[in-house]
Amino acid sequence: MRKRLIVLFIILFAFWLVISSAADLQHVLVGALIAFLTAWFWHDLGPRLPEVPSVRRALRLGWCLVLMVGYVIQANISVARAMLFSRHSVDPLFMVLDPGISTHWGRVLLATCITITPGTITVDIDPETGHFIVHALTGQIGRDLLYWRLIDKIRQLEEKEA
Amino acid sequence: MIKFLAYACFIGSFLAFGFGTLGLFRFPDAYTRMHAVGMGDTLGVGLAGLGLLLLSPDWTVRLKLVFILLLFWLINPAMTHLVAKAGLIHGVRPAKDTKLRKG
Repeated sequence: MRKRLIVLFIILFAFWLVISSAADLQHVLVGALIAFLTAWFWHDLGPRLPEVPSVRRALRLGWCLVLMVGYVIQANISVARAMLFSRHSVDPLFMVLDPGISTHWGRVLLATCITITPGTITVDIDPETGHFIVHALTGQIGRDLLYWRLIDKIRQLEEKEA
Repeated sequence: MIKFLAYACFIGSFLAFGFGTLGLFRFPDAYTRMHAVGMGDTLGVGLAGLGLLLLSPDWTVRLKLVFILLLFWLINPAMTHLVAKAGLIHGVRPAKDTKLRKG
């Protein structure tokens, strides 16, 4: 628990240092204070945060992000085609998806990945069953989501935690 | 060469935002329009950020830009999800031919 808070403090403080315009004493002290207060205020969030990942898992997560960039570009092309050409026109659907992901962070990660990819939006997640309600722009995009490689990757990341 | 690539990124970003705006007019309901706006939020912002990264004078500015891009890509999906969920809860009707499927 304490380790997570220290990691959260370090991340917030590093973020402050990167974003602030100067690295003088005033900025450093104010940043440290705000990072500490924020980490302390959200301390009850601790049990919901994922474990601090190992280097190997962090690298796997990084690889997932690289894959995401590729998917985002592909999805943008699909949406642009649906917009511009009538033969690829929209055929919207709401679908219930069961990705089989059990951890909070895994669901949040997948929901973010689904929504950041144009063509699919995570509308809701059932916390009991882990079912996702997704809005897809076309039937094809919805079908592709069922066999999305990223769902397996996130499931693998979860398995490493267990 | 770097300037040329940066300008190509800016043109790509402009096109992504342009297509996103076009989608607002062409798509039939609030839910499908969110997909169109997503083009600007992802590819548009990404390409504009990449162009600025290429033109940045030093690594501090580049690091800041990377953080800003990551923030954009974290916050936008959360907001899109909230708007879609609020729409569904408050009875915003989807387009007539919207289907329902259990995956």
